[in-house]
Amino acid sequence: MIQIESMTKLYQMGDSVVRALDGVDLQIEQAEFVGITGASGSGKSTLMHLIGCLDRPTQGAYRLAGRRVDQLADRRLAKIRSEYIGFVFQTFNLVNRTSALDNVRLPLIYARRHSTRKLAMRALERVGLARRAGHKPSELSGGERQRVAIARALVNNPPLLLADEPTGNLDSRTGEQILELFHGLHADGVTIVLVTHEMAMAAQAQRVIRMRDGRIVEDRKVDEAFRQELLASGMKPVGPSAVRDQSIAAAARE
Amino acid sequence: MFTLQILMMAIRGLRANLLRSLLATLGVIIGVGAVISAMSILEGTQRDIVERFESLGSDAITVYPATAKSGGRTIGLVQTLTVEDADALRDPRRCPNVADAAPEVSGGTSIKYFSRNIEATVLGTNEAYADMLSYKVESGRFFTRDEVITEQKVAALGYKVARDLFGNAPALGFPVKIRGISFRVIAVMEKKGDIGFRNVDSQVMIPVTTAMSRLFGIRHVHAISVRAEGPEKVDTAIAEIKRELRRQHDIRLRSGLKDDFLIFSQEEAREQFRDVTTIFKVVLYSIAGISLVVGGIGIMNIMLVSVTERTREIGVRKAVGAQRWDILWQFLIEAGIISLLGGANGVGLGYAMTDLLEKTTRVIETFTTPMVVAWALGMAIMTGILSGIYPAYKASRLDPVEALRYE
Repeated sequence: MIQIESMTKLYQMGDSVVRALDGVDLQIEQAEFVGITGASGSGKSTLMHLIGCLDRPTQGAYRLAGRRVDQLADRRLAKIRSEYIGFVFQTFNLVNRTSALDNVRLPLIYARRHSTRKLAMRALERVGLARRAGHKPSELSGGERQRVAIARALVNNPPLLLADEPTGNLDSRTGEQILELFHGLHADGVTIVLVTHEMAMAAQAQRVIRMRDGRIVEDRKVDEAFRQELLASGMKPVGPSAVRDQSIAAAARE
Repeated sequence: MFTLQILMMAIRGLRANLLRSLLATLGVIIGVGAVISAMSILEGTQRDIVERFESLGSDAITVYPATAKSGGRTIGLVQTLTVEDADALRDPRRCPNVADAAPEVSGGTSIKYFSRNIEATVLGTNEAYADMLSYKVESGRFFTRDEVITEQKVAALGYKVARDLFGNAPALGFPVKIRGISFRVIAVMEKKGDIGFRNVDSQVMIPVTTAMSRLFGIRHVHAISVRAEGPEKVDTAIAEIKRELRRQHDIRLRSGLKDDFLIFSQEEAREQFRDVTTIFKVVLYSIAGISLVVGGIGIMNIMLVSVTERTREIGVRKAVGAQRWDILWQFLIEAGIISLLGGANGVGLGYAMTDLLEKTTRVIETFTTPMVVAWALGMAIMTGILSGIYPAYKASRLDPVEALRYE
């Protein structure tokens, strides 16, 4: 599904050049559920943006579903996002002035699809929010908003779902519900890439990729032992995420 | 389908910030309102004046005195036209293409009937005047040639003058005092309103000779109204008038003398008037254009704020598959709707303002042509779209990653 070879991404920040990604090689198969973790600034968000075709790498090759996409024009990238990729964000990113239904219709409209209303309703049903279709985001709870966002991500039936800290703004119970939804989608054959700094979240995936300074420092299948390890490290959420991540990294090293 | 949905999005975007959208339209509303009211007044005035010209008939010619010169020096407002000139023009042997001519002297004055006293215009003219203007007598009879020659003190009252002085009582045969001189009422004229630039209903007509000697103490007339034998004879009639007046005034062009009279045909007067209104139109349209530019800047300002404020939303839209064009369209349509709404409200405002002006002043004539409305609306929409281009372009060029990060 995803083939990335020695991908580098440089940013100009004032006078200095920031190496956000530094020669990343990554393969993700169809229907995998992958967690990407790392401290803030580790490059995990940059990687997600590149996987999501929101940006182009400075160097390296990216094949999505067998097709080179790393140097495509904006127009083509937009088309690929429309057809292949669904995004879920930490802050939901719903358009506040329109109803849940209209938010879910957006990708259909941009994909020039017909009967957008029916399809959007179906997507809302899939996340259990059909009854709230007419409500605006401000009238919905955080969990409901994220479910609307997931419905929006799914409505075009993309094979790839990218989630950036999808439970970051939710309480743990609501977060679990969202994760259950992800598991359901995964079972339906959707490839899921979940970016999170929470180990407990990452432990939900089949495979965890850990990043630091723009490189992949660990890429490992999640077995029972690893899951326990991750959960254990995830149980001590103290201080800002960077500090926590470092303590986790330290714990992992032991 | 897609365009409709983009349109719906744009409408929702505007409704979400209703006050701001209304403020954005304000400039256009005022601009369009100003255009429409200004143009309506101009158009109304123009039509009114053209109508007045037409009420005189296209075969009407007016002769005015020009300043006379003596030895290259202007010797003031010398009045050069006389009753004899008018009589000469009426002579079919001399001016076969002139149907008739009437001298005119006029002045405002008070008219008294016992204790009633009103202000009116006294017009001294000859017996041909009423017929020339198809101005009919309601009761009595108009004065005759003999009465003109013998300087009779007789008066034909305009409809309103008769009303004001006599009410419903009969006026014929009764004496009215004009500047202290007693005139016998011999006619009350029909209700006619305006002929040319004169309201004949509030006018009193007396023999020109009487007016000159008894009332105004002058030897010259203010103008001579002439009617050609037909609209197609106007040019030949003018040539005849020129020849005849030169002969009468002993003007020899070869010896360097210039005409001491001016001749206007209806057509010429109308053309001159058109030239003047064209200048007015150009000025008004330019002012209107400026106000629309200001309105456009207002729209651009609001749209730029809107784009900045919705940066994140634009990022999301791009993330879910919106093309640059889609974003561009959405914002362009928003700008278009703002200007359309502004334009429509401006049309309303323009109508309201012209109506108000017409009703409060009762003098200003207004006429709103569909052309003006269409022009104003078209310009408003153009302005909106032009001023929306840059903000929309800016929105469409936003980098999705940057936009999504925007707080």
